[in-house]
Amino acid sequence: MFRAKRRTVVTVTAVLAVLLAGALAVTFLTQGKGNASDGGNGTVEYQPGHRPLAPDFTATSLTGTTISLSSYRGKTVVLNFWGSWCPPCRQEAPTLAVLAQQYRSQGVAFLGDDVGDTPSNALAFTRSAGIGYPSISDPGYLIVQKFSQVAPVSDTPTTVVIDKTGHVAGMVLGEVSYGEMTTLLRNAAVTQ
Amino acid sequence: MTDVHAPKSGPEPAAEQDAATRPFGTHPEVADGGTGGNAQPEAGWLRWGWRQLTSMRTALILLFLLALGSIPGSVLPQQGTDPGAVDQYYASHPAIAPWLNRLGLFNVFASPWFAAIYLLLFASLVGCVVPRTFKLVGSARTPPPRAPRNLGRLPHSSSYASALSPEAAVEGAAAVLGGQRFRLRRPDAGSGEHWVSAEKGYLREVGNLLFHLALLGVLLSIAAGGLFGYKADKLLVEGQSFADTRSALDEFNPGRLVSGSDLAPFTMTLNKFTASYIESGESRGQPSNFDADVSYTASPGATPGTYHIRINDPLSVDSLKVYLIGHGYAPEFKVTGANGQVAYQEATPFIPANTGTFLSDGVVKAPDASLGFMGVFVPTAISVGGTLESIFPAADAPAVSLIGYSGNLDMNGGASQSVYQLDTTGMTEVSGSPHLLVPGQTWQLPGGKGSITFVGVKQWVSLAITYDPGQLPALACGILALAGLLLSFFVRRRRVFVRAVTAASGTGSVVTVGGLTRSDASGGFEEEFAELAAEIAEAESAALLEPAEPAAPAEPLGSGKPEPGGNPESPKPGSNPESGA
Repeated sequence: MFRAKRRTVVTVTAVLAVLLAGALAVTFLTQGKGNASDGGNGTVEYQPGHRPLAPDFTATSLTGTTISLSSYRGKTVVLNFWGSWCPPCRQEAPTLAVLAQQYRSQGVAFLGDDVGDTPSNALAFTRSAGIGYPSISDPGYLIVQKFSQVAPVSDTPTTVVIDKTGHVAGMVLGEVSYGEMTTLLRNAAVTQ
Repeated sequence: MTDVHAPKSGPEPAAEQDAATRPFGTHPEVADGGTGGNAQPEAGWLRWGWRQLTSMRTALILLFLLALGSIPGSVLPQQGTDPGAVDQYYASHPAIAPWLNRLGLFNVFASPWFAAIYLLLFASLVGCVVPRTFKLVGSARTPPPRAPRNLGRLPHSSSYASALSPEAAVEGAAAVLGGQRFRLRRPDAGSGEHWVSAEKGYLREVGNLLFHLALLGVLLSIAAGGLFGYKADKLLVEGQSFADTRSALDEFNPGRLVSGSDLAPFTMTLNKFTASYIESGESRGQPSNFDADVSYTASPGATPGTYHIRINDPLSVDSLKVYLIGHGYAPEFKVTGANGQVAYQEATPFIPANTGTFLSDGVVKAPDASLGFMGVFVPTAISVGGTLESIFPAADAPAVSLIGYSGNLDMNGGASQSVYQLDTTGMTEVSGSPHLLVPGQTWQLPGGKGSITFVGVKQWVSLAITYDPGQLPALACGILALAGLLLSFFVRRRRVFVRAVTAASGTGSVVTVGGLTRSDASGGFEEEFAELAAEIAEAESAALLEPAEPAAPAEPLGSGKPEPGGNPESPKPGSNPESGA
């Protein structure tokens, strides 16, 4: 009887150990480099009803005015995380400037969040690139941190689309393209 | 073997002896390979493999391999901690570096072979611990074996004549042994025999098990650290702050199960950095102290705190640690473009090229003024034959030497650039020679291209942020492993038997005490046994003397009444250091 019991114990243990080893091995071996997703562009979209609520914030713009996200309620907001030191941000800026112009009449507001930067450098860029919409001065990435639970910004640029009700409708990781943004904005308009 | 009957007519003494000296475990080991002849050959191989894997020898070999495998991890530069050093290694050893890389030696702790050793060791330990646990539980529930008939044949024995009856003599011995926390076994009622079996030292196996479990715990803790921990670097200039988010960090090496939203939500501001240097003497210029004065909040809305981070004195915030690992100078520049508008104003980190004098290199990029500068910063400047040199690491007489370039910096092309390098392809030098500036000075660039002002000097620190949830558990498990090992070394499993028979004269009895231990590596059982035997005999004579009036020696004490006087509960001081066993 002991013998049978012992054998069961050994078998069960063996199976458990092999399962555990397998699980660990899979985690060990399937992981790539830590920053693997940095280079990859991608779009994330949330369906209405499944959209996380964007955190509200009040902050100072590059020019010193006060901006709060809640004051945009009722408008779709495109929130672009960027920095004048970041080449892909500089490259996508003209696309955003054009979109901002086109969608202004449709109740879409564009807002920048300038991270890791100084206002002087950022304003020099918005002037030269013809960016008309305001940007928050966020040298310490505080707004990024506020968004980390609903829209983790793993790198700049990242662009978050917030619908009229203040929920995150989607985001673009990396440089935006005109097509991606028009699709996101069309879908974001549907809030029910 | 059953305990139901104990006939007087000597039941195979040999078998009795076997029971007494049976292994100090539960039940006889299942014979190795005991599957019988009719087992499937594959099953046999599996069992054989499993037994090999879970054997102590294999575990030790694996442990040794694990230690051996860690050596290249600490000798060679590792991709995870210092990718730059790996590149350097490639440059200096172009022949062998690719081979080392193929063997995973630049990323040892994530290499498949290291994982294999680790996992096999894990499996080996689990396969060892589980049966052991069952064995321990079994042995804790099995009473000591019956006392052998002939105690004189045991390795330790002594006997004496007693005036007490056999019952009373055994009773007294049982009280002594019970007082010393032995587990006791008595003969079945009505057997007519008078003996007591006592066993002690179960903590040995408990310690052994604890050791194995703690080793498992160490492995799991390290795994937890690798899976859920992260390491990050951040360069922070005085006056700047940052929130612990993935994009704010310069380097981020997450564990395998860490996502960006798992970072601790702390924020930190570098108020001031102070580096003190020895001013004179032999070691002039050597650093004497570093102090990074920081303010931080553990989470949004939490009460802000301040701390002075020093070398080996990290800031602990929200279960992670922030270490000071480097520092340097960040000269602040203001660049104005041809249109007269400020295109750049920032304290720009320069990288020390000479860690003794802190002569540092850096670049200034003002793409919106189409200007770029390569600079050399010296904290204490002197001119050596027209060349700018630094003679002291503190910023006593700071100066920068700048070479200006104008043209397209190609920063709108989308491709990433290093902030410490200026690609001058497509740019032209604005003047033939470097321009020297001290704080407050402005260089008006020729041709109305703009100007650059050296506003002042700030310092930067390099911070390492580490989160290793496995660190504390690993330490705790290490301590437990040591405790377990000590227990299993110093506690020995031992059995003591006492048997009394009526003396040949008809009154009194002959009491024999026998002792047996399996593992007496640390020695000492002989003395312990001698003391016990003496104590048993002593308790007995006390029982004879003390009861002044009634208790006739022959009166049976079978009711389990404790000895009135002998008090075997308190062993002699120091007589038995392992009485807790």
